[in-house]
Order: sequence, then C-alpha cells, then structure tokens
Amino acid sequence: MGLTCHKLTLLTLGALTIQILGLSLFVLGFFPVKPALSGVSGPESFQAPGCDSFENSSDSVSQDLPPHRLKSLYQELSGIPPLFDRLILMVIDGLPAEFVLGKDGQPPRKDLMEAMPYTQSLLSKGNAIGYHAKAAPPTVTMPRLKAMVSGAIGGFLDVAFNFNTQALLDDNLLGQLFRIGWKMVMLGDETWLKLFPGLFMRHDGVSSFYVGSPLAFDVKDTVQVDQNVSRHLDEELSRDDWNLLILHYLGLDHVGHIGGRNSFLMIPKLMEMDEVVKTIHLNALQSQENGRQTLLVVVSDHGMTENGNHGGSSYEETDSLALFIGLKNGMSNYASTAHYSVNQVDIAPTLALLLGVPVPKNNVGVVISKTFGSLKDEKWLRVLELNAWQLLRLVQAQLPGLSCGSFPCDGSTIDLGSRSEECNGSPEKVLCCLYRNAALLHSAWKSIKVSRSTSGNDYSNTVAAYYQFMETASEWLSRRVTDVCISFSTSIDFTIGNDYFALQKPVGLLAFGVVAMVLSCLVLLGLLNCISGEVCPGRWCLDDAFILGTVMILVMSMGSSSMVEEEQYIWHFFLSTSYLLLLRRTVQSLPAGSVLSSFKLFKRQKERSDFRVLSIFLLLIAGRILRGWHQGGVNWTHLPDISKWLEQAGNDTVRSIQVASGILVICLGLFALVLFGSRRNIIQMVGFCLLNCGLLVLWHIVEYQGNAIASSSSGATLLAQRIYVILGITSGGIVLALPWFITDGMKSSNSRRVDSQNNFVLLPFRDSSYVIGLAYVLCWCLLQLLLQQPINSVPIFLLLIQILAILLLFSSCGLQFKEWVEVALLYYMGMAGHFALGNSNTLATVDVAGAFIGLSSHSTLLSGILMFIITYASPMLFLLSMVMYVSVKSTAYLAAEKNADSGHLLKVMLGLPCLVPLGLNSILLTAYTIVLLLMRNHLFVWSVFSPKYLYVCAASVCTYIGVLAVAATEVYAYFILVLRRKISVSVSNGVG
Amino acid sequence: MKEEKKQKKKEPKPATRSVSPPLAFLVHLVCGFGLVAPLSVTHNLFSLTLISDSSSTLRLIWVVETVVMILVYSSFRQNPEQCSYPRAVGRGILALPVVIAGCRPTSIMMYEVIGMQYLAKTINWSLFMSSLMFVPAASVFGSSWTDWQRMFAHTKPNGALEYMICIPAHGAVIGGWLGAWPMPLDWERPWQEWPICVTYGAIMGYLVSTIASLGFVVAHPRRHRLKGD
Repeated sequence: MGLTCHKLTLLTLGALTIQILGLSLFVLGFFPVKPALSGVSGPESFQAPGCDSFENSSDSVSQDLPPHRLKSLYQELSGIPPLFDRLILMVIDGLPAEFVLGKDGQPPRKDLMEAMPYTQSLLSKGNAIGYHAKAAPPTVTMPRLKAMVSGAIGGFLDVAFNFNTQALLDDNLLGQLFRIGWKMVMLGDETWLKLFPGLFMRHDGVSSFYVGSPLAFDVKDTVQVDQNVSRHLDEELSRDDWNLLILHYLGLDHVGHIGGRNSFLMIPKLMEMDEVVKTIHLNALQSQENGRQTLLVVVSDHGMTENGNHGGSSYEETDSLALFIGLKNGMSNYASTAHYSVNQVDIAPTLALLLGVPVPKNNVGVVISKTFGSLKDEKWLRVLELNAWQLLRLVQAQLPGLSCGSFPCDGSTIDLGSRSEECNGSPEKVLCCLYRNAALLHSAWKSIKVSRSTSGNDYSNTVAAYYQFMETASEWLSRRVTDVCISFSTSIDFTIGNDYFALQKPVGLLAFGVVAMVLSCLVLLGLLNCISGEVCPGRWCLDDAFILGTVMILVMSMGSSSMVEEEQYIWHFFLSTSYLLLLRRTVQSLPAGSVLSSFKLFKRQKERSDFRVLSIFLLLIAGRILRGWHQGGVNWTHLPDISKWLEQAGNDTVRSIQVASGILVICLGLFALVLFGSRRNIIQMVGFCLLNCGLLVLWHIVEYQGNAIASSSSGATLLAQRIYVILGITSGGIVLALPWFITDGMKSSNSRRVDSQNNFVLLPFRDSSYVIGLAYVLCWCLLQLLLQQPINSVPIFLLLIQILAILLLFSSCGLQFKEWVEVALLYYMGMAGHFALGNSNTLATVDVAGAFIGLSSHSTLLSGILMFIITYASPMLFLLSMVMYVSVKSTAYLAAEKNADSGHLLKVMLGLPCLVPLGLNSILLTAYTIVLLLMRNHLFVWSVFSPKYLYVCAASVCTYIGVLAVAATEVYAYFILVLRRKISVSVSNGVG
Repeated sequence: MKEEKKQKKKEPKPATRSVSPPLAFLVHLVCGFGLVAPLSVTHNLFSLTLISDSSSTLRLIWVVETVVMILVYSSFRQNPEQCSYPRAVGRGILALPVVIAGCRPTSIMMYEVIGMQYLAKTINWSLFMSSLMFVPAASVFGSSWTDWQRMFAHTKPNGALEYMICIPAHGAVIGGWLGAWPMPLDWERPWQEWPICVTYGAIMGYLVSTIASLGFVVAHPRRHRLKGD
C-alpha cells in the first residue's frame, strides 16, 4: 500500500524544512539588505576620495574633538561658512505638495490657496522656495523620515520594520548636528524619539496611534494631536537654547485617513498649519535681528491618495513637499517657478551643506541648487564638489576596486586641459568618466580663475558636469538599493573577475532557494498524488480538472501586475463557479422526476438532498455578500460597496450590526454544538465555556468599541487581555481535556456499531474532533470579532455560515467528490474570504490599528502577531475547520476500515486534509517565487510584485501553523483515545 | 404542463425526430445567422454596437435569436403527435421568464457589480444567455425534468438533436465564463465593461461549439437509433 504513516510524516516534514530553508534563502538574496556604510562622515569628507590624511583616524578625530572644535574644524576644512545656525524642521505628515505648489505648473485649487494665505504670500514674494520632493515607496512615515535625515533610500523590507521603530544607527543629519554641539527639541510624532533616542534636549511626543483604530479617528482627535504639538511652540520659540526644533504634525494625515483629500476638515487643518508657519516665520525674522540665522524647512513625509491612504508609489502618494523658508538669496525672480521637482533624499545633503556639517555617508541625494543662491561661484562649486566626493565614496564602496584616476589631494590644479570625454559603456565606466569630467572642469575653472580670466561659460559647464555626475550616481545608487537586477547582473559579471567571492552571494542564494522550493514542492505533490490515489481512487472528472485548472490559472495570472492587483476577482469568480459546479453535482444526484417535484423537495424534510441544495444556496448567497462587502483591489477601490454604504449610514448602524453579528455567531456556534448532542454533560460544559467567551467579547464591543476615548482606556485594554487569556484557556482546555472525557453516552447511542475494535476509538474520535474543531472555529471567530474593524463583523459571521454549510454538504454521502477536491475547495474558500475581509495585495490594507488592541505597551512582537491574526483571519479559520472536516469524513471510514492499524487510519484521515493545503501553498509559493525572479526588471516589481510576495510568504506561514495545529490536535486526540481504550480493556481484564 | 407530465409517464421513451447532418448544418446556420445578423444590422443601420449601447443591442440580439431558436427548434419537439407546433412555440416563449429567474441570480453571483445602473444590462444579458442556452431545450423538451437533468447536469446528450442543443449551450456558458477574464485587467478598453466581453465570449463560444456539435452529429449519427432500438 505504499507509504506508511511514519514515512509520510517524515517526508512531509522534510519537504517543509527544505521549503522554509529555501524560502528564507531566497528572501535574503532577493530583498537586499540596505548596503549601508557603517560609521559616520567626518573631516575626511572634505577631502577628495583617496586622500587619506584623515581616513584612518577619522573616528578618533571626530570623537575626540569637543563639539565646538569639531565645528570650527569643519568650517575650516570646507571653506564654506555655515549659512544658518538654527533650523526649524516642520514635518506635516501626509501633506501632498500639490496642495501648496499646485500640479503641472498650475497653481493649486483656489480654496487651498486661500487656506494657506501666508505660505502662498511667502512663495509669491520669493521668501520661500518650494519643491515637489518625490518620495520613494513605501510611502509610510518612518522610512520617509529616515530618508530625509540620512539621504539614503531604505531597502524594501524597511516597511516591515516601520512599526518596529528602532534607533537609526546609520550616519544621519541629526547625528552630525549633535556632534557639532547642536541642541535639539522635538515636538510631535513619537517616531522621532524612537529613531533618535537621547538626542533631544526636550521633547513632547504624540503617538501616531493616539487612538484605537482608524475608524475611531474623530474630529476632536485630528485637532488634538496637533494641539499637543503646538501647545509648547510659543514657549520654545521664545527660548534661545536650541539650534534644531523639529515639529511633526500628524493631524493632516489623520484628516486624510478619515475623509480623504477632500475632507471638510482639510481646509481648517491647512489654515492651522499656515498659522504655525506664520508664527515661526515672524519669530525667525525677529531673531534674525538678534543675529540668529534661522532656516525654516517645511516638509511632508509623503502624500496621500484621493481616499487619504498612502503606502504605494502612485504620484499622489509620492508627491511630498519640501519648502525652504528664509533662504538669503532674495530670489523674487523665482516666484513664478516654484514648481521644481526634486527627490526627497535631496533634502539631507542640502541641509547638511547649508548647516556646515559633512554629508551623511549613505546619502544618495543631490544638493538642491537654488537653495544656495547667495553663495559665490567658488563656494557653490565647493559645495558641489563635497557632495560629489561623498557620492563617489558611496559608489566606490559599492564597486570595490573602482578608481577614477588619481587627483592631487592638496587641491592644486592639474593641467590636463579642460577637455571632456563622451561617456558611455558600463555604468561603472560612465560614472567614473562623468566624475573625471566634472573634476577636470572644476580644476580648469580654478586655474583660469587664478589667471583672472573668469568666464561664465566655464562656470556653468562645471556646474552642469557636476550635476550630471551626481544625478547619474544618485540614480544608479538608488536603483541599486531598490533593484535586484543590477546587483544580479553585476554579480554575474564579477564572477569572471577577481571579486568572485565578494559578490556571488545573491545568485547562489537565489538559485539555491528556488531549487529547494521546487524540490520540496515536487516532494509534496508526489506525496499528495500517492495519498490521493490511495484514499480516493476513481477516474478524473470535471471537478478535479476544475480545481487543478484553478491553480494553473492562478499561477499564470500571477505574471500580470493588474491580475495581482485585482486578485480577489479571480478567487471570487472561481469560488462562485465551483459552487455552481457543486449545484450541478447535486442536481445530478437528485432523484429523477419533473421540475415541479424537485421544487417540492425544498419542503420535504425527509430527503437528504434538500438540505444539500439549501446549503449550496446558502454558500452562494453568503459568497455573494462577502464579495460585495469590500470592493478590494487597487484600481476600483472607489466603486461603491456594502462596507462604504454602511459606514456612510453612521457609526451607530455599524455598531449595532457588529453586536448583532456577534450574537449571531454565538448562536450559530451553539446551535451547531446543540445539534451534535445537548444532553451530554461534557458538551454542556463546552457550550458554557464558549458562551462565556462570546459574552465577554460582546461586552467589549458594547462597552468600548466605536468610541475613541473608551477604546484606548485602560479598562478596554485589560478586558481585551482577559479575553485573549480566556479564549486561549478555553480552546486549549477543550483540546486537552475533551478526549479524556468524551465517551460517556456514546455507547448507548451507537451501540449497534460496537462490533469492531476500531469503532471504540473512531466514534469518540469523530465526536471529539467535531467538538474541538467547532471550539477552534468559534474561538477564532470570537477573536476576530474583537480584533477586526467593526465593519468586518458581518463577513466573519458569513464565513462561519459558509464553513458550516459546506461541512453539512460534505457530510452527505451522495456527492461523490474526491476528498482532495473538497479540501482544496475549503482552502480556496479561505483565500476568497481573505479578500472578502478587505485585504488586498498592497501593504496599505493591513489593519495596523487593530494590532494594538489590548496591548498596554508598544511591543513589536505582540502587535506583529495580532496583525498576522487579523490579516490571515479567513485562511486560518478554514484551516482550523479542517478539524471538523476530519470528523465529518471519519464517519465514512467507520464502515470501510474495520481492522486497520492506527497508522493507516491516521494516514487516511489526516493525510489529505494536511497535505492538500501544504501542496497548494507550495505550488503557489514556488510559482510566485519564479515569477518574482522573472519580473525583477519589471517596472512594478517593488510596488506590486514584492508586496504580493510578502503576502505569499505570510500565507505560507499561516498554512504551516494551521496544518500543524490540525495535525497535532487530531493525533493527540486519537492517541489519548487509544490509550483510554487500552486502559479500559486492561481494567476490565483485571476485573474479569 | 401537468398533462404533459402524465403523457410522459405513459410513454417514457418518446420518439424524437432524427436529424441528419445536412439538416443539422442548416439549423445551425440559421441559428448562427440569427445571432450574427442583429449584430451587423445594428452596427450598420443604427451604428449601435455592444460598446456604445450594450443594453439595446443585447435586447435586439436576444429578441431575434429567441424568435429564430423557437421557430427552428419547435419543429424538432419531442413526441410531436401529442404536442402541436404552436404549443411547442408557446413552451419556448414561456421558458424565457422561467429561465431568466435562474439566469439573473447566476449572473449576479458570477459577475455583476450590484447597482441599479447595471439592472437593464443584466436583464438583457440574462435573456440573451437563456435564448442561447435554454430556449431550444425548452422548445424541444418542455418541462421534462429527466431530459433537462440529463442534458445540463450529467451532460450526456443522446442523439444528434441533443448534441445540437447541449453542446452549443455548454459552449456559450464556457465562452461567457472565459470572456469574463479580461474584465478586471487595467487595459482601460471600453469593451472591458460588463457585459460586453462576456457577451462576446458567449457568442464566440456558441459559434465554436455549434461547429463542434456538427462534428459530433456527423460522428455519431446512428447512436440514437441504436438506443431507440
């Protein structure tokens, strides 16, 4: 009969281990960890690369010197006096640059202009200069803040650590300023405190999760978060003891999350921001009279879509603002041209050079030209040179061995003539050549200047050459961070050269990872084939082909970015088709007769087929509602759906629906339990425990949810924690205790079957796994009712209905589906439910707010687990329902397998419910890995394919956990029952 | 209908007219013409296409196609001696509202965005689909549950006539099913709207499967008679 149970388990575990190994290798290889240079820029950054007078001792130099000495050293080395000695960095979270600067050369909308009169007047008078600062995706706060202060573009995985705000250890602007003795004050988003612990002299942090959930953001809250920032503003402005003041206003982002770009709260919020700008600017003007040069920089970390979301890479989201106010360049002529576009990372080098500190080491930004308008030509070229040197150092760190010719270190001119070459060839050569051109032009300019024959032409040529080099280098470096293809191709190139060992790693990792995944996938499929041939022989029919075709089409659709974006359509379409196939199958098995008699079947309760038809209709209706609940996807999110409609109806409606569906979930669960057998004590116990949990969850909903203040109160947190504990104890207790106590009352009801030894075990096994499965499913549903957004409570209820309906359908023997088809269908339903709960393949739909329910302190691990629970609610629910499914199906083995041994029985019962999800998941995972590798040059690789890959990985984790839980539960229950049987036999023998 | 049921019980295996391959070809030609002609007529005369006004174009198609189907297939009705031609025609017309009750929920389940603006389109599309799928069957079989079950649940057509009904019906369904695939893609073409590409898919599926069914008719011309004997 082929495989034994042990062998099967070992092979499966082996395949899974290989798969996990391959997956982690691939992830490590594909998502490059940011190639950061360690250490900080010191005095050496004022010398050309390769001139080593400070290079070796940079750390000691910069550490040993007291701040004021270091400051003067920098000033002396750079030759540029710092232009400002105070900086006020005002971060307005989520403000699209369009609101201030307009779009495509057009001024912003009139009401927006009127909302910010002071800022607009500054712009039109030329006192301020504004830029569209293009933010790199992911457009969420922390990576963007990091980009602004360090000039580096984070790797893709940075977003995963967005909520794990840890100290920024790389070289950054704030660290540099701290080193030269600047005193800093921070008011606003707590993220800054987490990024820069201990740097601020004074601070007043506001958590960006000030309230429980985004739905609970209310009008008061959007005002409150900003009042908490502004309340100290006047006091701080009147003080004179700080050099850097950071203000981070969260309110505008919250306004966007509540009502989108055109929220009625937006104009008042902009007016408020304008007031702040006015206050600061007037104060800065005043302090200027006292000899303090203050620069006000207003930036936003990212923009927002029409709906107020952010995270992706659309123009609306990446269009962030950089507004420099108080530059001393009297550039009234720039008033009309305040629509330049720069990159967000350009802010870092600009500020660094304006304030007289070295450019951070990992910066890929290019200094913004117009901000240095007041500098003389010579100084300006020096600024460009410093930035170019820093970029060249970074390029050299990326390409070890790159040398662009030697330049004298003492700044003396080299006489090579000012000829510049055409630059083409490999990227390295181009970069080198561009740099050489710029350096040559610069030195030529210097020599000409010495001979007093300055011409404007040479100067502008030099500037252009520097910019050409820096922009190319910047683009190359930022692509290199975010794009695997470059590192991929160069690593192949380098396999020929000397640096074989240094750079071959990614290719090896990727290849090994993919091979391991393919291998494990093949092993799992082979096992699946083996088992399914054993358990459900029979010839192929339409349903089998359909299920397989689904997988095929899914795999194929993964190659198209729009199909990945709109994946929910595929699942829903497949699922409704498979329900129709189920219906067809049911109609096939209906007794022959006329149409009329078949309609009569609905009324006759005796027939088994009537509840089959009924449950299929339930499935169809529930599926349709689930599908309409959230529009989902990316391109058509604005279309109406049920959840939007309900949210418009108001908070009270949503809450009453939430309470109602909570009650319905409890009732339905208890009904399913009562249906099973209400008279037994153990069942009553279980029912009581579950009811208890349900009432606690309802209490939490009624008392605390839907109310911003209450939901973040300590009472709510405590109750939520209690619910977690009680749900855990209930489900764990039922699993552990039930197999010990289940048999009572069993023998009387099924006495006619007590003929085979197996039935002594199988009957209680069936009962206990039914009750355990139901307890699992119910506990999970209750947990979701607690954690999910209020609007998602009805889908949870519908998913429960679907589970019960499909199990009812499968329990009838008339439908001769193969078992693997049924398990695959359950898996598909889980995936469709995943999208019905409002998830999509972009990271923006992850419900972050729910992940803080019941957490009293910020814990990355716990909130990560909660986030996982919320996101994978539906797949996990259906995997847990596998326990019930095993129970439903084990009835069939009662008759068939009279005297088989435990191993065989377990294999037959558990083999498919465990292997099919694993096999399907491994197909999808492997296929998607290959797709991702093929798509590495695709335009959307970071915005569409990579987020989807993270989802696929998380779904794999979900499948592993779910299958493990199912297998462990069933094996435990089975062996406890066998043990009890042995004990009772030996006791009766002893008595006899 | 009740009468019919009684008659069915009296005579469980009613005789059906046998269909020769040339006749089948002719029937399919007429039906295919009934499908394609309204499309080209609307396009040329009223400059209406599915894209510009899917609702009225669909209406025209299903009206013409239903009339053609009923007129043609009623002449192949089961046990013609008990069921007159006008009666079969009536049966086919009666089938439309009955069948639409099944088609419309199906289309809601499968494709449609809920909304009033799609109501007319969906109803017309349902009628269109039922004119392709169920009207011929209704004209031929009436309300005989066994035949319907055999045709649409088991997909076991028996004899040339049943091939001619069953295969195009399934072809239309499969074509419509496949036609729904481009809908979620972001090509931003006008034909990606509901129900345009689904209709095109159904038409294509229908036309392809009529050819396939001709093949079956040619390949198994005698099967019915053998069974009948």
